[in-house]
Formats: sequence, structure tokens, C-alpha cells
Amino acid sequence: MKYLTSDPAGEPSSILYSRCTVDFKSGKVQMEDIPCRNLEDVLGGFGRSFQILAERNISQAYCGENPLIVNTGLLTGSSAMTGMRTYFSGYSPVKESKKGLPAAMWSAGSGNFGNKFKWTGLDELVFEGCSPNPVYALIRETAEGPLVELKPADHLLGLSTHDKIMALQKEYDNAHFAAIGQAGEQWENVYFGAVTLSTDNQLKSGTDKMRFAGRGGMGSLMGYKNILALVAQSSDKLKPLTPAVKAVNINVVKGGGAARLQPISRGGGGGTWAAYDVLQVFHAVPVNNFRPQGNDLPEKLFRSQVEQQFHIKSEACHRCGITCHNNVYEMKEDGSPGEFLAKFDYEPLNLLSTNIGIHDAGLATQLIHLSDNYGMDSISLGVTISYLLSYNERHPEQPLLNGATFGDFEKIKELVEQTAQGKLPEIGRGSKRLSESTGETSYAYHVKGLELPAYQPETNPGYAWAIAGGHMSMGTYGLLTREGKSDLESWVHGITQTKLQIVGFDMIGLCKFFDITKGICTQMVVDCLKSELNLDVTAENIAAAVRRAFLRGLALELRQGYEKSEYTLPAEVWERPNPNIKLPNITNPEFFAELQKRIWDIFEPELARL
Amino acid sequence: MNVTIKLVGIFQISRFKEAVHEYPSGTRVRDLVDELRISGPLLGIVLINDIHACVEDLLNDGDTVCLLPFIDGG
Ligand code: SF4
Repeated sequence: MKYLTSDPAGEPSSILYSRCTVDFKSGKVQMEDIPCRNLEDVLGGFGRSFQILAERNISQAYCGENPLIVNTGLLTGSSAMTGMRTYFSGYSPVKESKKGLPAAMWSAGSGNFGNKFKWTGLDELVFEGCSPNPVYALIRETAEGPLVELKPADHLLGLSTHDKIMALQKEYDNAHFAAIGQAGEQWENVYFGAVTLSTDNQLKSGTDKMRFAGRGGMGSLMGYKNILALVAQSSDKLKPLTPAVKAVNINVVKGGGAARLQPISRGGGGGTWAAYDVLQVFHAVPVNNFRPQGNDLPEKLFRSQVEQQFHIKSEACHRCGITCHNNVYEMKEDGSPGEFLAKFDYEPLNLLSTNIGIHDAGLATQLIHLSDNYGMDSISLGVTISYLLSYNERHPEQPLLNGATFGDFEKIKELVEQTAQGKLPEIGRGSKRLSESTGETSYAYHVKGLELPAYQPETNPGYAWAIAGGHMSMGTYGLLTREGKSDLESWVHGITQTKLQIVGFDMIGLCKFFDITKGICTQMVVDCLKSELNLDVTAENIAAAVRRAFLRGLALELRQGYEKSEYTLPAEVWERPNPNIKLPNITNPEFFAELQKRIWDIFEPELARL
Repeated sequence: MNVTIKLVGIFQISRFKEAVHEYPSGTRVRDLVDELRISGPLLGIVLINDIHACVEDLLNDGDTVCLLPFIDGG
């Protein structure tokens, strides 16, 4: 970025970002410094990429005109804790309107790739068209500025995400990597391929401890473009920690912000896995395709149970003091860690275990390991499989595919492997298409074509207005469960005001765990921007920019053919209310209809003014 | 008065899962939280008799208080 002003809100065009466009059709690689149009452009991430996507008319994701945009946020590569996000944006192969038009999507991931990318001097890399041959892109710093080159990647074809990264590591030192797996290579039949981002821990240990930009199939779009990996090579450019940023970082780690995600050994809550115990109190842990049974089955995946059999280690992305990863290892006889098995985060764990009828941690590690190494979004994969299992349970006389049912590990594993290899488009194209083909759509747990994360829809009507996946682009998943809010006013306020602000993290380059409850419109972020970049911006200006970016996302959905009737929940929620969930029913048709009306009454005039 | 306390997840570590404690009238949830040395930022949800409540709420004889850790995203 080039800063010719310290006032990004008042003079955004005096801040320029460095963009490289790789046009496979013309063979040109063009470097430009682009003036920012507004504060959203300055902040980065989807705030910028969605403005580019809005300029395109795209009717199918797999077309040359659909760009893949790789960018970072203002604080990526900074010394602000968690500042290492990379964003991948484009029209999604998996998320589509009922009209069949693809929705704009972004996906974010940590790891150390984002830092290295930023430190090359590049802020954004846009891929236009498709490469005729498999390639990887090398982005590196030179004395003249960032340079992007394309390299043949035939030797990477068919390798897992981890193996691609390991192969590239042998060729490039001082570098980090983003790669797709076999699933992304099979883009025609797998629409939810993920992009994997390397971590220092992975490169040092040689084990598959990666991070993922999973949602929306950006890995499949990358595969369609025949780009198997990205390499960012540069010296480390972390600035010395200033007193102001140091104070913020201490507050992130020790203050309320992320304390609950810290390792239990440090007095923290132990990461997102803790949600199992909490949601089980309400019988709201998804079981067998989002149908909690009111029994204690989910408890088998409680951390306290799992650690009797496995060694669990708290680990982190490079220099992040939050240390939210719970890595599961075999336990040796003396209790020390053996082989690394998988990382347990709440979403992938639940959706590849309890929600498909598997209540064994060892089996869950195998499925998570497969999903990660083949490079698939574990949420879309898990939920599409749970739909299939639910269908087979309802149709024992004529089951689909291999006839797998809930809990049948061997058959489920076969489904995962075959999906990744492109042999099961029925699953690989997601739950919306599969349910439309069977004609039984009511128990397909997606909203607007994107599979739900592991929070019951009965607890979160806000899913309907999430613009890029259920829990990470609309922070209402705890409004009922955690905050106990069951009145209309609280939900209208949450969806239209406070909880949409969660998407700010997907602009600025910080992980949501920096301060998930307060978002980025805080003095902590203002202090970081001043100290790291000498930018004077108020929390109010940031909040307004985040809101505009969110609304632009909503407008883009409507432009891609979404009807208001698609802003809804899976019909099973009201057709077969689940009596086992011990929370007030806020997803009955009357409540939801009123919620829809009130929310559009607020959003529509603003959308018209955009 | 007798109050049943249920602890969830990490709050059980070095404490208990469920116990009945005796308190004087006028006791608030906060008094239990302090007594059990449960950290403020980690406390996410308070239920009294299965209904969401807050730390300032007064307790009555026979109440069941459930303390749950904070949960955050996936
Ligand atoms: S909070 Fe977790 S995912 Fe985010 S940067 Fe820190 S260790 Fe990585």
C-alpha cells in the first residue's frame, strides 16, 4: 500500500494498493497501483473484492470472466495479534440462487501465507481466465517491487494439500504456500474445494497442521483456473512492536477479547471445541443431520472424554498468543504425544462426527484428516453427507449411492474419498443440488445454497441474512443460546445492526478471535491502525465502512437472482419442530415472517441508496 | 436456603459437576461465581431453573443455577 494521506476515510484515493492481474487469455501479467475508492477499499479483503465482483455479470462460476481474487487486509502482516489473514474471492461454484446464478463469495484463512504475500509488496492478485496447463504462481519481492511469475505445476498434480506444500517447500525457502488438494483439481464434480494455507508449525514439523480458506469453493475455482498453488516468498518484515500495539496484544490475550479461546492450561476456555459442552445443555448439538435427540450421545466427543484416549496439545499460528488450535495426537503409554492425527475445531468436528452418527474421536480424526488433505470444506462436505444419510434412513428400500447410514464409518469414509476424487458429484456439488435431485429439500441444511455450520438453525434465524456462510458472516449464532434473547426487537437489532459487524474481520486482516464480540470498530483497532500505519480513522468510520460492505454483499446476492423467499431456513425447522431442543422457539413461522418483514424494512431503503 | 449448582465444561475442572450448597437469603449469582473463583471473561451463560439469567440476579431456596463457559464461533 502507498499512503499519501493519514486520513483513509476522508481521502481514500490518496491511498493506493498494489494489484497484479494475471490474464491467462492474453498471457499478460500487469502490475498497477490503484487508488482506493472508499474506506472499504482501504481496509481490504471482501470490502474491496466485492466491489470488483459487482462490476461483473457472471451467470456461471466456471467461466473465464469469473476472477479469482487473492488479497489481504490492512493489518495482515502487521504486529497486531492475529494479523495474518488471506482472502480468496470470486463467484462461488457451490453457493447459488434458485435461479441458478452463482453468488459472490469470499473465504478467509490464517496461517503464515498472508504475511508473506503482504511482505512481497503485493496487496491483491487477480487471476482472469484459465491456464491451459497446470501452474503455480510465484509471488516474490524484488528490488523493483513485487514480481509474479507462473511456473509449470505438473509435478504437483494429484498430490494432497499437505504434499503440495511439502513439495514446494523443497524448492523455495523463506516462503509460505497456498494450495488446493485433489478435490480442487476435480472442480467439475467437487464444488466445495478449499484452499490450504501453510503454517510455520507445518513447515517445521512436516506434519499437516494447515489452515483453510474453506467456504464457498474458492479451491474449486482455483482448480478450474488450473492454478494448483501459490508461493509467496519474501523476507520477514514484521515491524518492532510499538508500545501501543503491545498494549493491544496484551489486551487481546489477557483481556476479555479472546481469553476464552486460550488453552485451558493458561486459564482459558480451550478453543471452540468447548461449544460441545455448552450446546449440549440445551440439547442443541447437531446430531444425525441437525436432529438433536435429547440424549447424551454428543458427550462422547466432549474434550474431557477424548483426552482420556488422546493427547491434546494447544498450538497456534505463528506468534499468535491466542493459541486456539486443539491438535489431537495419539497418546503414548507414558501420556506423551505420538503421531499427529487432526485438529479439533467445533465445526469440522461436529459435522464429521456427531452430526453423521459417529461418536468416536479416533474415527472423527480420520475423516477430518481426509477432508483436510483432499482439500474440501469440511462444513459443506459434512452437511451434504448428513443429508444423504438422512435420505437413506428415510428410504431404506432404495438408498442412494453406497447405501451409507448414520454411524456407518466405513461407508462414510468411502463417500469422503470418492467425493474428493471426483467420483461422486451427487455429494461434491453440495446439498442444495442433491436435495433438488431427490425432490426432498426440507431437510437439506443449507441456506441460500451454502451448508450450515454446526449451530442448529432453531437457535439462529440470522443465518438467512449471512452473506458468506452461516456463522462467520452473521454473528447471531449466540444470540439465543448465549444471550438468551428470544424477542423480536433483539433479533432485528442483532441482524441489522450489531451482529453483521462480524464481517469487518474479513476486511482488515485480523482473525475473528481478536475480539469476536465487539468486532473491529473498537479503540484497539483504531490504535493499531495509528501505530502501525499512521492512519487516523475513527471507530465510527470503520463501522460505517463495514456496514456498507455488508450491504453491498446483500445487494450482490439480490442481483444474482435471490428472491426474498430464499432468505429462510431449512423447512424441516418448522415442518417438524424438534421438541428436544431446550430453548424458546424463535423459528416458528409467525416469528420468522415478522422478522423477515422488519429486517427488509430496514435494509431495503439502505440498499436503494448504495 | 439450598441452591443446586451445576457446572459445565471447563468449570468442572478441580471443582464438581453438581452440588447443593447452603447460602443465606439475599445471595446473588455473583456470590456463587466469586466463591467458586470462576473467571469473569470465561463465564458465558447463567441459567436459573433453565432460564437465562445474569450474575446480579437474586437466588431463592430450591433454585438450580447452571454456569456455562462462553462460546465463540467455529
Ligand atoms: S486466533 Fe487461532 S486461528 Fe486466529 S491467528 Fe490465533 S491461533 Fe491462528
